[in-house]
Amino acid sequence: MKAILLVAARDFRQIVATRGFMVTVLIVPFAVAVSIFGSVVFGPKTTSAFSLVDASGRYGAQVERRLEMDYQREVLRSLSTYVDRWQPASVDPGAPWVRRGAWASDAEVARFAADGGARAALRRLQPRLPDDAPAFKPPTRDFVQIPPPDGAPVDKGPEAFGRAGASALQGDVSTPDGKRPFALAVYIPKDFGEPGAVVRIWTNGRSDGGLIDAIRAELTSALRQRALQASGLSPEEAARVQALSAPVQVSDQPAGGGSGRVLIRSLVPLALVYLLLITALTTGSMMLQSLIEERSNKLLESVLACIRPEALMYGKLLGLGGVGLCIVTVWTGCAFGAAFAAPGVVSDLLRASLTVLDDPWIVVALIFYFLSGYLVVSMLFLAIGSLSDSMQDAQSYLAPVLLLITLPIVFTIQATISSPDSMLPRVLSWVPLYTPFVMLARLGAGVPLPEMLGTGALLIAFLALELLLLGRLFRASLLGAGQPSRAEVFARLMFQSADR
Amino acid sequence: MSASILVLDHVTKRFGDFTAVDGLSFAVPEGGVFGFLGGNGAGKTTSLRMTLDIIRPTSGRIEVMGGPPARENAAEIGFLPEERGLYRLMTVLDTIVYFARLKRMDRGAARKAAGELIERLGLADRARTPVGKLSKGLAQKVQLATALVNSPRLILLDEPFSGLDPVNQGVLEDLIREMASRGSTVVFSTHVMQHAERLCDRLVLLARGRKVFEGTQEAARASLPARLTLVGRADPSGLPGVASAFALGPVEGGWTRFDVALQPAANPGDLLEACTARSFPLRGFDIHHPGLHEVFIHLVGADQEIVG
Repeated sequence: MKAILLVAARDFRQIVATRGFMVTVLIVPFAVAVSIFGSVVFGPKTTSAFSLVDASGRYGAQVERRLEMDYQREVLRSLSTYVDRWQPASVDPGAPWVRRGAWASDAEVARFAADGGARAALRRLQPRLPDDAPAFKPPTRDFVQIPPPDGAPVDKGPEAFGRAGASALQGDVSTPDGKRPFALAVYIPKDFGEPGAVVRIWTNGRSDGGLIDAIRAELTSALRQRALQASGLSPEEAARVQALSAPVQVSDQPAGGGSGRVLIRSLVPLALVYLLLITALTTGSMMLQSLIEERSNKLLESVLACIRPEALMYGKLLGLGGVGLCIVTVWTGCAFGAAFAAPGVVSDLLRASLTVLDDPWIVVALIFYFLSGYLVVSMLFLAIGSLSDSMQDAQSYLAPVLLLITLPIVFTIQATISSPDSMLPRVLSWVPLYTPFVMLARLGAGVPLPEMLGTGALLIAFLALELLLLGRLFRASLLGAGQPSRAEVFARLMFQSADR
Repeated sequence: MSASILVLDHVTKRFGDFTAVDGLSFAVPEGGVFGFLGGNGAGKTTSLRMTLDIIRPTSGRIEVMGGPPARENAAEIGFLPEERGLYRLMTVLDTIVYFARLKRMDRGAARKAAGELIERLGLADRARTPVGKLSKGLAQKVQLATALVNSPRLILLDEPFSGLDPVNQGVLEDLIREMASRGSTVVFSTHVMQHAERLCDRLVLLARGRKVFEGTQEAARASLPARLTLVGRADPSGLPGVASAFALGPVEGGWTRFDVALQPAANPGDLLEACTARSFPLRGFDIHHPGLHEVFIHLVGADQEIVG
């Protein structure tokens, strides 16, 4: 055991002291930080600008009111989520922001806005919020209306307006919130509502975020109002009919539940799958280099004069396990730190995803599959290293092995996310090379106990067999540096009794 | 003779159809320097690897320090392999300490012994230098230090002089003598007979995996018919013990120089006594002591690769 620990400590120290290891450890957090920073600073602006010309003079204000109403509804929904998250003490149970998930009618939204909107609500909520509650940030407006572009005639018909506005749609325009993409130009003709009269809309070809639907819905509503009045209803009666809406209460579960429950519960296991894959491949490559260095440096004989080949093999596995653990610790630490340091959707989601760890059996399974997956891949790399005299030699084994490991895993994870019980994940759960990865991916959705026990037992048997064969290969091939690495030699080493 | 520290008893090692060691038997007495001589491919390295339990014999018995070959013996064995290499990124001190610890030394003792050895080998100013930055000669000293750090009772050196310049060969010879004088048993393999002649008390000669000789240097030389140069007035062919005599040429005053080969068991001293008894006129009588190189060629054949 002492020899194993000595080899493990030496390999660990040698790898950790290299620049390559430091780069490996830091590159993922750095890349994530850069991508987050980049998406915040350079990411696409969510607010789009639009212009609306109402030649009829009857509908423009109505569309504006509708868009403002929709935005206030979004603010109300966001506020109710905030209240649900931070649970202020003794809130008014009748307040519209208390009912998370309930659909607010136009009347309720109008009353919320008339009462001062989010600002007034927060004045009331603030004294009751816990101290660590962050400030409420209202959602960004999806659309901001701007005057027609310079030079676009508003009184010469849609064609002239459209021709002039088309060039402005190619880029960003100035808005009160800064430069924003000019997404839409709308022209409502003077005779809108008459047969043959058409509302013209020009777009920049990108997603309009539902603006066209909102405009069309409001203009349709206006036409219906007219039709209802024409059929004899008073304006008030017509408006009441228009306001009819099926009352819906979405009984959403706390964060971590609901329709996305499986996906949220699968976040930690899925993250572990990718972490396992990246870590195992990264440290496996390091182990390969280390072993090939020992072979090419001809120092194995000195080592093997002191310790058994098995001790060398276990020591290497242990040392590289330590390296992998080190990487995993740093990466998960950075991820958790970043998530909790940046409160908001990410931390809420992460907190919800961690509920999967409430079940101790899941925790045991996560650890088991992670460690066994690490061992499965590491031993493959060790086998390649013990057969190779140089990295060039190792490449000939490495390419097919990497494909063999990664491709099915990536496909299976995709299949597992979309449908955890589909055929591919279920079948590959019984292939020991993939069992740790696939079972990790499926854990969030729940796996029947017999299947878990069966695949686990098969995996343990496979690991024992892999360890046995690797030990045999190690004993037989380590001093064979310089010999050609042929398939038949490999087969002989694996399946004939080891003649050291 | 003291008890044997290493015994090989009818040891055979086959790799598939190839027999690397064939029924090899010999014993190494404790103390002194033992030469393990043979040409390339004679089976020296394979035998040493079997002694260290790196590989197992196909048949036969090996006894090391009274027990079977095992890694547990590592604490009392120092081994310098023929193919040398070290961890390039480790420092000199860490390398020696690492191997000391692999040989079951505790951390404190390992560091103390490594420090002392570094001083003795003149590596003190390089103790913290990564091995990869050392010259080949210094790296070989470090490798030697890894073998000797545990003050081993049995030191196995496989072709220790290969790759060393003449100065360092001399340093290593001195070190081997020093180790032997301190009580260690040094077994070294070589195909360079000069080193063996200077160092070995006893030796074993191998050819194609088989032992062709075991014993002292004197016995090895004695196995070769003695040769001498004789200056006389008459042909010495008829003298007792003479196998052949070849006239090399006249010498001033009517004398003739002869190259005389004695019969296998004949002794030059007996021949000199016979000359005196028979009043065989003599003016010169020079005995040629055969070198191990000649012994080897005689015993093994000239087709084996050796260096004289």
